[in-house]
Amino acid sequence: MPPIIETEGATKWFAQKVPQSGFTGRLRNFLKPVTRDVKAVDGISFAIEAGEAVGYLGPNGAGKSTMIKMLTGVLVPTAGSVRVLGRVPHEERIVNARDIGVVFGQRSQLWWDLPLFESFELHRRIYRIEKGRFDRARAELVDMLQIAPFLERPVRQLSLGQRMRGEIAMTLLHDPKILFLDEPTIGLDVVAKDVVRKLISRVNRERGTTIMLTTHDLRDIEEICPRLIMVDDGKLLFDGPLTNLNASFGARRKLTLEFASEPATVMLAGAEPAGGEGVIRTFLMSDDRRSLVDIIAALKSDAELVDVHLHEPDIEEVIRTYYQSRQRQAAPSKRTG
Amino acid sequence: MQTLSLYLYLVRLQLRTRLQYRANLLIGWVAQAFGYASVYGTIWIIASRFERLGGWVWPEIALMLGFHVLGYALGALFTFVQLRGMEELVRLGTYDTLMVRPVSPWAFLAFSGINIEYGGHIALGVGMIAWALPQLGIDWSVLTVAQLVASLISAALLTGATLTIIAAMALVLTRSRYLFGIYFDFWELSRYPLTIFALPLQLTLLSIVPLGYMAYVPVAALLGKPVPLIGAAAPFAAILAGPVMVVVAMLVWQACQRRYQGAGG
Ligand SMILES: Nc1ncnc2c1ncn2[C@@H]1O[C@H](COP(=O)(O)OP(=O)(O)O)[C@@H](O)[C@H]1O
Ligand SMILES: [Mg+2]
Repeated sequence: MPPIIETEGATKWFAQKVPQSGFTGRLRNFLKPVTRDVKAVDGISFAIEAGEAVGYLGPNGAGKSTMIKMLTGVLVPTAGSVRVLGRVPHEERIVNARDIGVVFGQRSQLWWDLPLFESFELHRRIYRIEKGRFDRARAELVDMLQIAPFLERPVRQLSLGQRMRGEIAMTLLHDPKILFLDEPTIGLDVVAKDVVRKLISRVNRERGTTIMLTTHDLRDIEEICPRLIMVDDGKLLFDGPLTNLNASFGARRKLTLEFASEPATVMLAGAEPAGGEGVIRTFLMSDDRRSLVDIIAALKSDAELVDVHLHEPDIEEVIRTYYQSRQRQAAPSKRTG
Repeated sequence: MQTLSLYLYLVRLQLRTRLQYRANLLIGWVAQAFGYASVYGTIWIIASRFERLGGWVWPEIALMLGFHVLGYALGALFTFVQLRGMEELVRLGTYDTLMVRPVSPWAFLAFSGINIEYGGHIALGVGMIAWALPQLGIDWSVLTVAQLVASLISAALLTGATLTIIAAMALVLTRSRYLFGIYFDFWELSRYPLTIFALPLQLTLLSIVPLGYMAYVPVAALLGKPVPLIGAAAPFAAILAGPVMVVVAMLVWQACQRRYQGAGG
């Protein structure tokens, strides 16, 4: 079977206005603005098979949303090609739209002033879902996403997390083959993030929906996506399985321990000492999958532990270490060549 | 068929939302009726002072004003408030959420935002037409009735199409609000007999900014008054202006949609 999503050298340039100052400048801004090309997506190729859950990771401005918009038919690529379910999305926008679901983390598709279930009813009409099928899907999704308690409440009264669950449930009502999520956890608190991640992962496992989600939060990917595509500055940096972050990128979680008095010895199995002075000691964790409790349980020290901080590597750090490791690899070959 | 039922459903949803705030709606209607009444009052004073305005007496002008506000309201009902905010729809990414659904974004906006606040305009327009018509001694026939209705529909389409063209600019320029301002400048001129203006303005209102066809041309045709520049073609021009503009608007919208870039990160 051909891939369900396929891009080949997909590229999107934007002409960004460069505002000019002064009187003639302002006149110019109005009549013929000075523009500068921004390569938001720069020759990206990948293929995604049906049933996969892929995380599209990158810092702000990396071109994630632009890629999603090309895949959903909102934007026309400047160069290269994009295919979704065998179609060119912008040429067959409406047909494509019936087969996919799209959730934007920062904008709601729900009807603000009406109860949640009314938005579902509207969705049924937009996607022309047959009544029996709709009722079954609705019952199943209300249960799966645990939205029964607030189905009757106006959307404006829902918390961000509740709204996101409602949003995802609605988007799945027409049983899309692919679910695109653009930063689905942005702005959510820690608990809501966790709930939403687990639910997205369940959708992928239990319904078999292909998932592509963009994020700048590594945890989203660790919990939902076996496969990672990493982009920066419009370019593809990495595409492969996410076994663990350490092996892939060398960016590690950092553990900071604070003791009651200055310890003479501190031993922490599976962690590498990374300095510290006085009552503070830091360690770099080599295995990202181990729980914090297990690690602390293995601590051997003569001083009493008072506080623990775990610092997750963020996307900027991951990308920095990624570039550094590439430079290290590239450097010897340069010398010999 | 299913598409039509979707649009009707959108209208129902919107009405229900709006009717949650009934008192506001009523106050809005009354306030707007007063606003218009004061403008029309001024025109009435001028017209009765000079007896004629551009060759038109007050009942003729009243018919034209009624026609103008009614045609406008019927078109704007589906477009103005929805599309006035096009800039924000683009900037906030709301327009993107429409494009990922299997609908025409324009139709979705038009029907889901139907604006019953135009109730006041419609009542005013119907009232003025009903007051003016009996005083004008029009020789009624099936044909004149058909002409009146068709040119009214044309005026509504002209309004909707023009506002659509302006809104489409936001898809490309990400700005369009100032264009609405320019539209309303011409719109205000279009409620006077065209004959009071100099030739260049007459020409403009009958061609590139075709608001002359909103009320002046159709009412002049109905009353058998001479129309500058287009003369005997007036009745046909009045009926065709709206549909022609709709075709232009569809082409412009499609072209802008193809060039749509979103709002920038
Ligand atoms: N419509 C647009 N016009 C101009 N520049 C844009 C537009 N959309 C996005 N950009 C630019 O393209 C780059 C990528 O944006 P985006 O895809 O939104 O990034 P991300 O979603 O990864 O944060 C950014 O530099 C952004 O400023
Ligand atoms: Mg984004």
